Amino acid sequence: MWGMAAISEEDRLDRVQTLRTLRRSYDLARPQRRILHSALTLVLVSTLVTLAGPLLLRYAIDHGIKDGNGRVLNWLIVVYLGITAFGYGVGRLQYLAINRAGEGFLRTLRLTVFERLQRQSMAFFDREKAGVLVSRMTNDIESMGELIQFGLLQFVSAFLLLVLAVIVLFVMSWQLALVALVVLPLLVLASVRFQKQSNRAYLDVREKVGDNLSTLQEGITGVRVIQAYGQQDARSRRFHSTNRALFDSHMHSVKVSTWYFGLVEFAGIAATGAIIGIGGWLVHRDAVSIGTITAFILLLANLFDPVQQLSQLYNTVQSSTAALHKLFLIVDAKPDVDEVEHPTPLPARGAIDVVDVTFSYETADRPALRGVSITVADGERLALVGPTGAGKSTLAKLMARLYDPSMVDGTCGTVSFGGVDLRQSSMSDLRRRIVVVPQEGFCFGGTIRENVRIARPTATDAEVERALASIGALERFADFPEGLDTEVRERGSRLSAGERQLVALARAALVDPAVLVLDEATSNLDPGTEAVVEHALESLMNGRTVIVVAHRLSTVRRADRIAVVDHGELVELGSHDQLVTLGGRYAALASAWEASQPH
Amino acid sequence: MDTPETLATRDGWRLLRRVLMEQRRGLIVGVIVGLLWAVGKVSVPQITKLGIDRGSEGNGSLLFWTGLVVAAAVIAGIFTAFRRWVAFRESRWIETRLREQIFDHLLRLHVGYHDRTQTGQLMSRASSDLQQLQAFVVMIPITLSNLAMIVAVVVLLFVSQPYLALFALAPLPLVNVLASRFSRRIHPAVLAVQQEQAQLATVVEESVSGVRVIKGFGAEGVQFAKVSTEADDIQRVSLEAARIRSRFLPALDVLPALGLVAVLGIGGHRVIDGAMTVGDLVKFNAYITMLIWPLRNLAMTVALGQRASVALMRVNEVLSTPSLVVDPESPTRLPAATIDRPVGEVRFRDVVFAYEGSDPVIDGFDLSIPAGHAVALVGATGSGKSTLVRLLTRFHDVKSGAIEIDGVDVRSMSLTDLRSAVGIVFEDTFLFHDPVRDNIAFARPEASDDVVHGAARLAGAHEFITALPEGYDTILGERGYSLSGGQRQRIAIARAIVAEPRVLVLDDATSAVDPSKEHEIREAMTTVMRGRTTIVIAHRPGTIALADTVVLLDGGRAVAVGSHDELLATNDRYRQVLAAWAVRDEDGDDDAPTPSPDSTTAVVESRRAVSRSADGEVV
Repeated sequence: MWGMAAISEEDRLDRVQTLRTLRRSYDLARPQRRILHSALTLVLVSTLVTLAGPLLLRYAIDHGIKDGNGRVLNWLIVVYLGITAFGYGVGRLQYLAINRAGEGFLRTLRLTVFERLQRQSMAFFDREKAGVLVSRMTNDIESMGELIQFGLLQFVSAFLLLVLAVIVLFVMSWQLALVALVVLPLLVLASVRFQKQSNRAYLDVREKVGDNLSTLQEGITGVRVIQAYGQQDARSRRFHSTNRALFDSHMHSVKVSTWYFGLVEFAGIAATGAIIGIGGWLVHRDAVSIGTITAFILLLANLFDPVQQLSQLYNTVQSSTAALHKLFLIVDAKPDVDEVEHPTPLPARGAIDVVDVTFSYETADRPALRGVSITVADGERLALVGPTGAGKSTLAKLMARLYDPSMVDGTCGTVSFGGVDLRQSSMSDLRRRIVVVPQEGFCFGGTIRENVRIARPTATDAEVERALASIGALERFADFPEGLDTEVRERGSRLSAGERQLVALARAALVDPAVLVLDEATSNLDPGTEAVVEHALESLMNGRTVIVVAHRLSTVRRADRIAVVDHGELVELGSHDQLVTLGGRYAALASAWEASQPH
Repeated sequence: MDTPETLATRDGWRLLRRVLMEQRRGLIVGVIVGLLWAVGKVSVPQITKLGIDRGSEGNGSLLFWTGLVVAAAVIAGIFTAFRRWVAFRESRWIETRLREQIFDHLLRLHVGYHDRTQTGQLMSRASSDLQQLQAFVVMIPITLSNLAMIVAVVVLLFVSQPYLALFALAPLPLVNVLASRFSRRIHPAVLAVQQEQAQLATVVEESVSGVRVIKGFGAEGVQFAKVSTEADDIQRVSLEAARIRSRFLPALDVLPALGLVAVLGIGGHRVIDGAMTVGDLVKFNAYITMLIWPLRNLAMTVALGQRASVALMRVNEVLSTPSLVVDPESPTRLPAATIDRPVGEVRFRDVVFAYEGSDPVIDGFDLSIPAGHAVALVGATGSGKSTLVRLLTRFHDVKSGAIEIDGVDVRSMSLTDLRSAVGIVFEDTFLFHDPVRDNIAFARPEASDDVVHGAARLAGAHEFITALPEGYDTILGERGYSLSGGQRQRIAIARAIVAEPRVLVLDDATSAVDPSKEHEIREAMTTVMRGRTTIVIAHRPGTIALADTVVLLDGGRAVAVGSHDELLATNDRYRQVLAAWAVRDEDGDDDAPTPSPDSTTAVVESRRAVSRSADGEVV
């Protein structure tokens, strides 16, 4: 419900930010501008229609009924009917117009944010929490959608109604208007106070709901441990306490609104009483007519409702502006890995040169790589080994330009392919030469075919099939009930882990790159699939430069050279035999590996 | 005649009736308060009329009428506030209590139920379904007093001007009809919007979590096309919903206006004819205006009631599921340990077990483990190792055969006794959002710090715990401090030590650990296993070597028993199994810092769970 919106202090924007955000939104809504303007005009018209009712009644009483003039009365009824019908028409159009403008705007917003999001570098995705990014694109925009469907219309029309009603009251009778306006400031004050209190109360409710759901979820997912240690009662007590805290928090927010709603009801009726009392006195002195008093009583509602609505919408509008502001921050973020304007084309094949490269993750306090230099010849197979956190995966990612080297102590070094600095090439060119096959075979919702084709959207069906065939996986997928057109479901849940890896390998085969960067799979595969994946990988590596982050002795042994990385530095480099003879870090690692293998 | 669906709905209504009966006192108070409000509210136009008529004729005290209105204002103000307060208190209380009942019931349901039910489903039973119920219950006192007000107004109008009342009120029932038709039409449209939004969320989620693949192949365009299709869909269904709103909402505003036109037309002429007063005219106007919202509300309440009954039906399904694993009627106690008879002997006697609708996983398993002995269970994936452990602790019950601890069948002891006798360290360690201390003292919350620290030392966890930012007070769990797989395991082992079980089960406790760190856990395990009956599920030779005896599982039976070296030397199948494990053995490596899940995400996720489950599905 839009009334439930709340905004925390740190999210609240100052006046400058608010204005800037609103102006940006207005610019973004350029395609919807005409319909937006006509929507606003319609809102104005329908507000006027709302105000016309009491005024007609006033005229009818003073000039028709009191004078006993039936003709005037009949004419007024016709006008009243006409205006009512007109109001209905305007009301419909206004709904449609404001929704068309709003939904159009949201669509533009979704696409703009997503497009910018995708341009961001890997470092950005490491830095930002996935959950937060997703919720920006979903929850935040959705809540704005609710604002558009209900709130925007109300906000504008409440504001117009309030202003116009005050003007009309003053024009009819300034004395009575003053009476009404004695109550109005009180109501405004109460509303402002209520808005602040309810904001705090809702924030608290939101936090308690979060706590409560977490405890609930923890109880359900941890049920096995809880039962295994017989802690049902203790956990129940825990849940009851967060649950009761939520109840108290709900009741606090009801309390906050209770006095306010009571006061609003009281003020509305009391103001009516005052109008009758003072109005009656004025009627005796012939200062106002009975018609005016009647119109006043009816118009009072048009004065009080908007104040309530505005105070309730205030939080919603503020939190939507804050959400917009955050979305614009994503739109404005400059990608760390960006395209150069005039890219140098990459040669078809070539060596990879890493020269004195340093790299640091933004969140880390020490560099992940320091002064690493290594050359991988065309067609060579290089295995990167080292302990967890040593920097071997990072080095592999730099070789594929998932990251750019970063400045540490004034140097950053270069990574080049065939003599061209990767930063000087275009992304599309680069992705055709160097392909990264991630550890986990990640699948998207869609068919098997679509999942392979993601690597090269222009590939024909035949090319996709050839890619699958080249790694020996075509038959396996063709055997599915709907063959390659089988839906793999969300995250590829229909496929086994091994099959998902085959899809990942087929993607690489479809691109047919000169260089493969592999992060060796660590997930458990059943032995049958394991052999198929091994075979596919072997055919894929054939004839290409391969850089593999290795976890298995068997893989390391098949490599031409082995690079041992530790503490962000290249500590040993050579063939298996050379390094074993050297008797250093690798030799120790290899013997530890052997020991844990069955004989 | 009765479809299962209507039967289930009826159960939903029955539960609702029970819940409302339990809360009847509060609800009755709410209705009474609401009636008082209605009195105040209804009297106002009547007083206004008298004020205008008498006041304008000059023969009444204006001050008197004004005072009456103010008095009515006080009554209406106080009781509207009170009505709201009571309505919310009762409805929130019902929601709160039911949520606790669901939670308590879930914690006691057999594990088999949890195995086949998604967490998200259960979450939405306890959150969004109960919210639907709350939204309905809160309307009960409000709707009943509104109803009273409507009746009072209608009677009043008919008594004072029957002819005019007939015409003025004629359009109002249509408000009700239209409003309920509106809620029927808009509901599916709103669901459609939510569904499209969920689809967009799915694409965005996979684009963010699959960003490595997308970047790796430069496939941004493909995902953008998907998002733009979804965005178009959302726009389309949203506009469809807007069209429905545009058809109904302005009409709902117009209908009462027609009543007002009738008042002016017919009433005006009657005033001219002297059949009624100007005050009557104003009164009619005010009453008609007053009825608009209660009539709309009435329609809304009916729709809310329907949704609440469907939600309650789902809640009822959970609450009426019996637990299949319960305490025996007269439990046998485990024999106490004596000097000449150590405890912790475990016997599996011809155990057979199958998961629902599948072939037996355990098929005639026999094994006797003497007290204080350590046994390693080795077998390929799906050979039934973990299932044996789950049978021992009665997560499931055996189909036939028996499992005994110290000569007592696990089914004939109380669950509390059984589960304090068996301590399990699970393959996937579960840590609670609590301090380290509480996570370790999980089985015995009253345990002293000395006991906790001692257990942590035994498990080799004390050192890293004291190095944590807040030591033993560091909050763990999904939203807390994230530990490495090995650290988590050591905390789980410490947790088992504090429980002081007769039988310790280590279910693949080292699998999540980097092989280079495995020796640390192994040391912890050695200490813990000393003198205690232990069942170790393992596949790394180093861990297997900790056990006195190795049992090879295949096809749900113990196919070979012996020491590691014996089996290695004599058993082909054993060698095969170990080799298969070694091939797929892993060491988690990712040297990029992984952002730790934080509270924002958790809250965001849970908000999603609440907000998008109008149809009961958590997305």
